[in-house]
Amino acid sequence: MNPLPSIHSVRLALLLGAGWLATSAGAEVRPVPPSGMVLLPAGVYTPLLRDAVDPAKIPVAAFWLDERPVTNGEFLAFVQAEARWRRSRVSPLFADRQYLANWAGDLEPGAQAPVNVPVVRISWFAARAYAKWAGKRLPTTAEWERAAGAGYRGPAAKAEADFTARALAWYSAPTPAVLPASGSGPVNFYGARDLLDLVWEWVDDFNSAMVTGESRADGGLERNLFCGSGSVSAGDREDYPAFMRLGYRSSLRANYTVANLGFRCARNLAQDLAPQAVPDPSTDLFPSSPSILLPAP
Amino acid sequence: MNTAHLFLPALLGLVTAASALPAADACCGAPGRPAAATAALSDRSIYQLDATWTTDAGMPFTLAELRGRPVVLAMFFTSCGYACPRIVEAMTQIRQALPAAMRDRARFVLVSFDDQHDTVAVLQAYRVQHGLDPARWVLLRGAPDDIRELAAVLGVSYQKDAAGLFSHSNLITILNGEGEIAHQRAGLEGGLAEAARAVVAAGNAGRGR
Repeated sequence: MNPLPSIHSVRLALLLGAGWLATSAGAEVRPVPPSGMVLLPAGVYTPLLRDAVDPAKIPVAAFWLDERPVTNGEFLAFVQAEARWRRSRVSPLFADRQYLANWAGDLEPGAQAPVNVPVVRISWFAARAYAKWAGKRLPTTAEWERAAGAGYRGPAAKAEADFTARALAWYSAPTPAVLPASGSGPVNFYGARDLLDLVWEWVDDFNSAMVTGESRADGGLERNLFCGSGSVSAGDREDYPAFMRLGYRSSLRANYTVANLGFRCARNLAQDLAPQAVPDPSTDLFPSSPSILLPAP
Repeated sequence: MNTAHLFLPALLGLVTAASALPAADACCGAPGRPAAATAALSDRSIYQLDATWTTDAGMPFTLAELRGRPVVLAMFFTSCGYACPRIVEAMTQIRQALPAAMRDRARFVLVSFDDQHDTVAVLQAYRVQHGLDPARWVLLRGAPDDIRELAAVLGVSYQKDAAGLFSHSNLITILNGEGEIAHQRAGLEGGLAEAARAVVAAGNAGRGR
């Protein structure tokens, strides 16, 4: 997973802004990932629905992503440290009544929520608070979708029938009473696991989807409810799971908790914790490197 | 319930003693101030979000400063050519529909989505252009994280496009004196009389406290 775990590479990465380096031999040297995280190199995200003025592909700066969803055990450490996020104390503004309802107690995940299993029934606020506590942040939709767009063998899942089949099978399978362990799925091209076949995951800008959830109004942007140029178009009409995720996210409110909705964290390479949904080209982390943009999936 | 400082940035959040942060407390209504000064916020109050915003006068502002008053609040951006002018117009009409006393007590708050373009000066110009009385209307700008969080509690969706404009929900929210969501008017058509009634109800409910 981590080809260069030495002190030297850490130092080198720090010295050079934790960017990608070209060695004299021309091979790429990757910065050392923080523990449990994998590198998503800079690339592009093809939004499913977009405005007429938007480019078909949006650049996404390189970032770190948790290899697997956050577990009950990890979330327990968080609520031990941050009492206000315990089940009995959380404000209903920030989490609904089902918050951590599958736990046995405030500080006891219990049999329904083994410590190595993804934490679910957490709200967007709780996931965000955990991320801040952990020195991380939630990934943006663009970042998450970019990671999930990779297959087992390459950056484009669509090219891999077995990958797509597994993702689709998950959508049609009921949620088991006790989820499988986090990190038990196969790694994708970037080294991340369980993006598409274990739980749904919160993203930082979940509330960016302009879908009303009202089927009669969802002919695109509903001009009365939403202000926009009104001419959205679908990027890839065949990406059924992506439409599922779009619809799912747009049905959420920030204090909702769901039995199969968890999260994982992300982190900027530059340690700037502010999420960047659409990176400004003028602040590109590595403007001089021509090898940053991967071919479009 | 001590949730007022939930959303300070992570580094500040690690500093548990509120007394270590006198400057932040002074502006944010965080737990540093005397407990007797105010009763604890309702657990449904959006004033639990303690982000510090900036007014069009360049002054720091927390939403909790609106406590005790009925509030009509919308998110917008100044360069919005379609819906936002209609939202501001709708808020003006709601205001006109209020009894005189309530018209004076209520506050009308516009919070910008656009942390890049909507500077203090731009908000100032917007106020002048739309004739928004400084005693009644509050225009705010803030940090991207705080904008995302406020939108989340209000149920507002938004997204910036490549041209720097925002797609967004058209939503006007009525808050009662505790900062609880009392009513929401979705869309651009109708609903003004109901909204005005909700302001009156919210204002009367807050009076007894």
